[in-house]
Amino acid sequence: MSQNRKVGNIIATILKYAVLIFGAVFTILPFVWMISSSLKTPTELVQIPPSLFPETPQWSNYQEAWKAAPFARYFVNTLIVTFCTTCGVLVTTVLSAFAFSRLNFPGKKTVFSLFLATLMIPGEMLIITNYETIINLKWIDSYKAMIIPWISSAFYIYLLTRFFMQVPESLYLAAKVDKCSDFKYMIKIMVPMNKQAIFSIAILNIISSWNAFLWPLLVTNSQEMRVLSNGLVRFQTEAGSSTELIMAASCMLVMPIIIIYLFLRKYIIEGVTRSGLKG
Amino acid sequence: MKLKKIGASILAMAMATSMLAGCGQASTEAPAETQPTEAVETPAAEASTATEEAAPASEAKNIEATEVTFWHAMNGNLEAVLTEITDEFNNSNEYGIKVTLVNQGAYGDLQTKLQASAAADALPDLAQAYNNWLTPYLDKIVKLDDFVANDFDNWDDVVEAYRDECSEFGFIHAVPYNKSTYVLFYNKTMFDELGISVPETWADVEAAAKTVYDAKGISFIGYDDLAGVVEASLHQDGADYVDATGALFNDEKGLETFTYLSNLYNNEYARLVGEDGYFSNVISNQQIASYVGSSAGVSYIKAEGWELGVAPLPGNVKKAANMAGTNIVMFAQDSNKQLAAWEYLKYITSTEAMTKWAVGTGYLPIRQSAYETAEYKTYMEENICAAACYEQAKDFFFSPTFEASNDIRSTVPSTVEQLVYDKADAQTWLDTIVEAVNAQY
Repeated sequence: MSQNRKVGNIIATILKYAVLIFGAVFTILPFVWMISSSLKTPTELVQIPPSLFPETPQWSNYQEAWKAAPFARYFVNTLIVTFCTTCGVLVTTVLSAFAFSRLNFPGKKTVFSLFLATLMIPGEMLIITNYETIINLKWIDSYKAMIIPWISSAFYIYLLTRFFMQVPESLYLAAKVDKCSDFKYMIKIMVPMNKQAIFSIAILNIISSWNAFLWPLLVTNSQEMRVLSNGLVRFQTEAGSSTELIMAASCMLVMPIIIIYLFLRKYIIEGVTRSGLKG
Repeated sequence: MKLKKIGASILAMAMATSMLAGCGQASTEAPAETQPTEAVETPAAEASTATEEAAPASEAKNIEATEVTFWHAMNGNLEAVLTEITDEFNNSNEYGIKVTLVNQGAYGDLQTKLQASAAADALPDLAQAYNNWLTPYLDKIVKLDDFVANDFDNWDDVVEAYRDECSEFGFIHAVPYNKSTYVLFYNKTMFDELGISVPETWADVEAAAKTVYDAKGISFIGYDDLAGVVEASLHQDGADYVDATGALFNDEKGLETFTYLSNLYNNEYARLVGEDGYFSNVISNQQIASYVGSSAGVSYIKAEGWELGVAPLPGNVKKAANMAGTNIVMFAQDSNKQLAAWEYLKYITSTEAMTKWAVGTGYLPIRQSAYETAEYKTYMEENICAAACYEQAKDFFFSPTFEASNDIRSTVPSTVEQLVYDKADAQTWLDTIVEAVNAQY
């Protein structure tokens, strides 16, 4: 009987790992393909049957891609924009989520509904109006044009409000008894208790900010203000595209995100699984 | 997906209202510096009046120093050559005009940005554009007829098809610039080996395709642009394609054209391109004997171990070849800026600068006189692609622009792909494509 159970356990483990390995391979293959493509020659790239690894790695692709556009400058810009928007998002999200979940003020429900209502407006519809606003403010070609419209998100506020609401009110009242101010309570109790949720908001924001393409393209004109994703289109023309260079540039573009992920994966996984979010 | 904060939306609404209030004023909010010339109270729609007043003044050549912004989508080497020519203009013009080049990514990005900027009244002074991008904001384009009539060195020197394309809307709305055409790229080594001569007619294509398929088991021909091949083939068969009323080929001529195309695909004489979208890599790997693509793509073909040949497109009852590439349109509303921008356009389309552009980039000269310069003649001797393009310059046609033309362009390729997958017969090709085209109106 125990023999049977042992065999059953082994089979279950094998099955479990088989599924996991399959999932891992499935997820990682596009990355491997991107890296391998970035090291191929244009002819090798489309050869049939395709080769998984390049015959002789063309490291010069990276050199060439790097030279095609001021990527170093793009990188700095992307970093600045991502950092500032993420900080902004965290500040506005934490403050408003706290207000909506704990504080009582007149019109709270109405304001919250208004926030939620903005979720119904597709981003594409807002782009032109926001672009006009930026033009009228004479903010074209500046960091603030890329940062300020994105330092708050109704979705993240809604999300975090839900998390904050799960913290029992008795904690708040107990803190009040101890003469703890609202701000102190928020910083000392609410934020640490919802660390994962806040982390996942930060990560989601970093990813979308890092990958943003259309908005930075619209509000900037000079090379000095462009971001990494804008650099990728440099390799495409009406008559052909240098896929190997696009892949090399893509590798450079996603590398920082992958590094961030490796360091923070514990929080990301916890945050995402707890909140039921997809990245 | 990100969503804006409510404050931004309120701000946007407030701004939209203030924009409405300020509608009477000309908004020269182009990202360039604003020029302290006299206020030009000219709404976009009345641009032509401004032009009419401006043009005679240009003879006096009283242009104040100003900055002109030019949005383009030229990348890599193309951008380098454009920058060089623009720098020459900036350093040599006597008025202190400074043209600022602004790279807006690829064509698709430039189109998006132009459309958004038209809505926001923030168009640049000059921009590259295809005709079919322009219909939504045609009223914001400066009419160039008077500039051309009063201050242009021989408009008749410009290739006729380009002139026609640039006056498609009933007035001259653009100056042609980076022009290319579709040509037949072929593997000369393979042709020689199999004893095939360059196909000049559809019948030649079919015969050569059979030879290649039987000997090598690979397809003979491919088309980078499936909408383009449908249009060109119809013209080659003496049929019409589309106009503002709908599809014009629902007849025997149309059926004949699709018999040719469907037979090519169904016999595997022709094939679709893979994921990367262009046949340049496929022919580089010798997996196809020839393909029809833009002359601007010749640098993407890597002929290693075989020799590349380039020829005009094969025809049927007549020859016909698609033109590609953009023209330059003017949006500047300030009359001084218009004059300045026109000086620049004259400069870059002059025979000398045009020859330099064509030799440096592989785009076709827009002027007959540029073809005849010693420099370009030498270039053509060395460059088989340029020679083939020149040979078919008389057969150019351009795609008409009307409200539905952009949608038709984006619908036809997927429709053709599906027909190829289905191995459909000629009648089905005809019916399906007619239906798909007419559904766009």
